[in-house]
Amino acid sequence: MAEEGKSCKRGYEDPWPPVRGDYLVGNPNAGVVAVTLASPLFPRGAAICGQCKTENLGVEKIVANVISNCNIRFLILCGVESKGHLPGNTILALHKNGIDEQGRIIGSRGAIPFIQNLPPEAIRRFQEQVELIDCIGLEDVVQIEEQISRYNRLAKPYPFEPFQVIKRKAASRQIVAGKGDLSFGAGVVMDTAAWLVIEEQDAMEEANAEAIAEG
Amino acid sequence: MFRFSREQSIVNVAGVKFGGQPGELPSVLCGTIFYHGHKIVEDEERGIFDKKAAERLISRQEALSEETGCPCVLHLYARSTLAFEKYLDFIEPVWNGPFIIDSADAATRGSAALLASELGYADRAIYNSISLATDEKEVQALRDSEIDSAIILAYNPAEPGVDGSLAVLETGGRVREKGLLPMAREMGLVNLLIDPAVVPLGSGAGSALRFSVAAKARLGLPIGSGIHNAVSSWPWLSQKEMAARKCCDAAAAAMQLMAAADFLLYGPIESADTIFPAAAMADILVAEAVRDLEIAPGEMHPLHRLV
Repeated sequence: MAEEGKSCKRGYEDPWPPVRGDYLVGNPNAGVVAVTLASPLFPRGAAICGQCKTENLGVEKIVANVISNCNIRFLILCGVESKGHLPGNTILALHKNGIDEQGRIIGSRGAIPFIQNLPPEAIRRFQEQVELIDCIGLEDVVQIEEQISRYNRLAKPYPFEPFQVIKRKAASRQIVAGKGDLSFGAGVVMDTAAWLVIEEQDAMEEANAEAIAEG
Repeated sequence: MFRFSREQSIVNVAGVKFGGQPGELPSVLCGTIFYHGHKIVEDEERGIFDKKAAERLISRQEALSEETGCPCVLHLYARSTLAFEKYLDFIEPVWNGPFIIDSADAATRGSAALLASELGYADRAIYNSISLATDEKEVQALRDSEIDSAIILAYNPAEPGVDGSLAVLETGGRVREKGLLPMAREMGLVNLLIDPAVVPLGSGAGSALRFSVAAKARLGLPIGSGIHNAVSSWPWLSQKEMAARKCCDAAAAAMQLMAAADFLLYGPIESADTIFPAAAMADILVAEAVRDLEIAPGEMHPLHRLV
């Protein structure tokens, strides 16, 4: 998590980037990332560059990798949009508007624009740490590299600690066997709701107990 | 393997049957053609492609289907309505089975549904898909079409996991006022196929397997997924040799079938040579495993053809 008021010496922690993906890592001390959307382009000079084809999980990975490196202050959106998914439009909307209570990215025109694995603080940090440079549609690598050089010169490290997104563990729940709705034969059944394999007798006792409890 | 206590419905689209108890029917295998980046496509927007190469791919899938007994479906992906029109025109003399209408663009999907109806193909078409993203325009296009078969995508990013996926189908969960299943039925869709929505490995791909069993137990509808997406989006694997990638593709397909799936959206149609044998093998194993559970595999099943 971000520790405000402190500046980090190097700006990121090893290993960086923390979230794996199909990208090319450049110099982590650079101040720019290039998101080439649906175009398979690999411009030089960015801290990291790669495609983003989806408006949900792909966007989450970008945010997590960007805010874990304080050197990154500019995010260049370039290349062509991924039709229907519109990740470029979605990143712009996320930066401008954030998310609602359900995790939906406000104002995105993408198909299913949701954030499910990032806390709201991570979104706020993304909004504060980086400035978006909208070059959507630009596929000329030379021109993209010129933009990267230009914004690298302007970038000054974000004056706080890197923000590490910790993967949330799935909430565990108490498993109570109900009726066996799937049979393996030989008296073995499964309650698919509880994902529990049990002997048929146990399932019947559970069902009876449930019926008695319900009166 | 296992049998479900709930009756498992069988959906028939243009003679191809999906569903039933595990081991009852062979798996339906759907290969995608004209997908984004497909080498045989020269112009995705205008639908210009190498017809001979496309014909070879379709014939190969059909030949493997006849050899193994696993029925096949042609999964048509189009970037534009114009391209979809060209693809439909092309398949008319070369493919007379069911096909899937697919596009990342909702407007293209909607107009493709209307076009398929106008040309008299509605009873062969499966709409992919009804999802959280389906808006009123798309609903209206489907209502206006004669298509009555669709894949329902159980993707619920607001509540990831099995419970959230079931909720989006049945009630809409926290993200829609109505469940996708009642919504689809109101739109006149009758043949409903469920897709768990496979996310990348590390983001919860495995829950598609558990969801497949849970959803069949609860809904009794045919289930199938594009589990190849979990394989193709795995950066670690993409650095490996082709043999390793094909091996994982086949393994993922077989795992999904072992987890009660009735059909596979197996990805690029070029993978047919890898997927059909893997799926046929999985079908045989499942059929043998449920032999004493009063499930008899149909005549066309790989069990009767390949062993």
